[in-house]
Amino acid sequence: MPTSVRIALLAALLALASNVAVIGFIHWQTYDESITTLRRQVTDQNAFLADIYQGGGMDALRSAMDDVDADDTHAKTGILDSRGRPVLGDFAGVQTDLSEGYRSALVRLQDEGVSREAAIYLHRLRGGQWLISAQTAGEGLAFRLTLQRSLWIGLALSLLLGLACGIIVARYVGRSVRAVAKVADRIGSGDFRQRVPVRGTRDPFDALARQINAMLDRINTLMDELSILTDALAHDLRSPVGRIRAAADAALTAPTPERREQLLAGIIQQADSLMRILTTILEIGRSEAFTSRNQFAWFDAGQLVAELAEMYEPVADEAGAELVLRRARGDLKVNGHRQLLAQALSNLIENAIKYGASGGEIGLGAVRNGDRLALTVTDRGPGIPEANRDEARRRFRRLDSSRSLEGAGLGLALAEAIAHLHGGELLLGECTPGLNATIEIPVQPDQHGKSALARAPAVAQIRAK
Amino acid sequence: MGRKILLVEDDRETAAYLMRGLGEEGHSVEHVIDGREGLFRASDGSYDLIILDRMLPLLDGLAVLRALRAAEIATPVLILSALASVGDRIEGLECGSDDYLVKPFSFAELTARANALFRRNESRPTADPRITVADLEIDPLSRTVRRSGKKIDLKPREYLLLEYFARNEGKIVTRTMLLEKVWDYHFDPGTNVIDVHVSRLRRKLEEGFDRPLLHTVRGAGYRLEG
Repeated sequence: MPTSVRIALLAALLALASNVAVIGFIHWQTYDESITTLRRQVTDQNAFLADIYQGGGMDALRSAMDDVDADDTHAKTGILDSRGRPVLGDFAGVQTDLSEGYRSALVRLQDEGVSREAAIYLHRLRGGQWLISAQTAGEGLAFRLTLQRSLWIGLALSLLLGLACGIIVARYVGRSVRAVAKVADRIGSGDFRQRVPVRGTRDPFDALARQINAMLDRINTLMDELSILTDALAHDLRSPVGRIRAAADAALTAPTPERREQLLAGIIQQADSLMRILTTILEIGRSEAFTSRNQFAWFDAGQLVAELAEMYEPVADEAGAELVLRRARGDLKVNGHRQLLAQALSNLIENAIKYGASGGEIGLGAVRNGDRLALTVTDRGPGIPEANRDEARRRFRRLDSSRSLEGAGLGLALAEAIAHLHGGELLLGECTPGLNATIEIPVQPDQHGKSALARAPAVAQIRAK
Repeated sequence: MGRKILLVEDDRETAAYLMRGLGEEGHSVEHVIDGREGLFRASDGSYDLIILDRMLPLLDGLAVLRALRAAEIATPVLILSALASVGDRIEGLECGSDDYLVKPFSFAELTARANALFRRNESRPTADPRITVADLEIDPLSRTVRRSGKKIDLKPREYLLLEYFARNEGKIVTRTMLLEKVWDYHFDPGTNVIDVHVSRLRRKLEEGFDRPLLHTVRGAGYRLEG
């Protein structure tokens, strides 16, 4: 059974049940009351006539019956023979079994063609005859009849209305759900551009549609990134693998053991650099998964940049640049992952040396602004044009102009992932000339920080700009 | 000198490769393939080194390590793992391992690290803390270095680098070992940063002397030897 039919039937059933309950209650209450009144009237009347019969016999009874008829137009009286046939009084026929007491029965009056319902009381007289007194159209009885009629009409109406309501609700829900289902179906078959229509009604269905669309946008971004990543991965891994293969080929036919050893050492070196690329990719994924947060601890970022400056000073020197440390005075303590921040900074420093050493000066700095800490690496090289900066952050996307240089271009992407892990950002700016890469993080990250997924739309927006 | 090594590794190919290599170095290697058996064998404390895979059947490597350390068995443990991230390495070290090596690794890297662990566990003569390598004399107390009696001025990091080399005299020391032990960084910087520091140290040590001390071992690392 389709859901919409089920919803319609359920709504109809609920409407019916509530109406039956209300009408039934009213009916039970009023019916009971009116019947009690009727019963008392008929019983009293019969007792009165029976008393007269007891005292004065049939003649007295007959005159009393006439009096009663004259007093109350709805009161009917009569005598039935021992087999229930009318012998005297207002009745042409009475359909009832013959026994002492009160009941309701169908009666036909003299001069009338159709039977009508009446409340009757039968009393057995001496000689086997029956005294019958009845109320044909008492207020209670009439009310009861009307009530019964309204009850049936009401029930029929409520059934119809319920069904109509059910159908409307089912169609409304069904349409909204079908829209979602249709989109889900199309997406399932591979068309990821589909979106659920948002009607702007601000109801839960609209909210659902919006949420689903946001989710789809996020999935799309991830898929785009993934496909860029796989393309770039294939591209960037091809050349080292190719070189390894060529070296292995050459080693097989090397003329001297020395030459072979040299080629094999080259192969090991290439394999190591491949491993490094793969490790960094894993590292990025892990940083984004927030699993490293349990290794956060307080440490002095000033000391960290000093150590890194000391570590990279000779490397910068050999590349023809001077590494200048600009460490702010005061408290530079931060709660974070020392190893990962060191790795992020070393990536930025290596990038600066690789691409910006020609400018002569590489700056490394740590500054505290309020409750945020900025770790900055600057160079005086060609920099990155503003339009390409988001691109530069993406995994593996080395800018085309730098394609010729060594390095997998993962450095900025990892630095950004690590900044995010700390609840901060990687900012790329102009250093006129040159690049200013800053990891800006809160000194104390929010313990219940936003999840990687919740943060994603903001990132997507920045990237879309 | 041959050592007694327990290898806990479920991958038979890696295990066979390691057993052959370590056997050729003169060590005796016992191999078990699951964590429970590994813990059982290791608990008598009779090994010189335990090489422990991180992902093992029945009981994983870190659990074995924690159990050993809880039982106060101080046998050096070298963890092998395919989990390469900085976080994983630090987790391994914090569990009480003495070293951590990421798969795939070169055999040279493994033996270099194993030798460093053997050496560390040996009792050193305490009377004279000075270390001598050929005509090189290092005084860890005053942090001074002399070669043939002539004082050599080193920067603090260069001194630490040299002391680490000297404590592993004659053994291969890899670039990653230096990065981890001298700088305490557990990531791979990917450039020649270590080479630059080593070549500066070498220049200071060998300038004006005929005999080289700090040798480059191709495809593996460096060795300090007279």
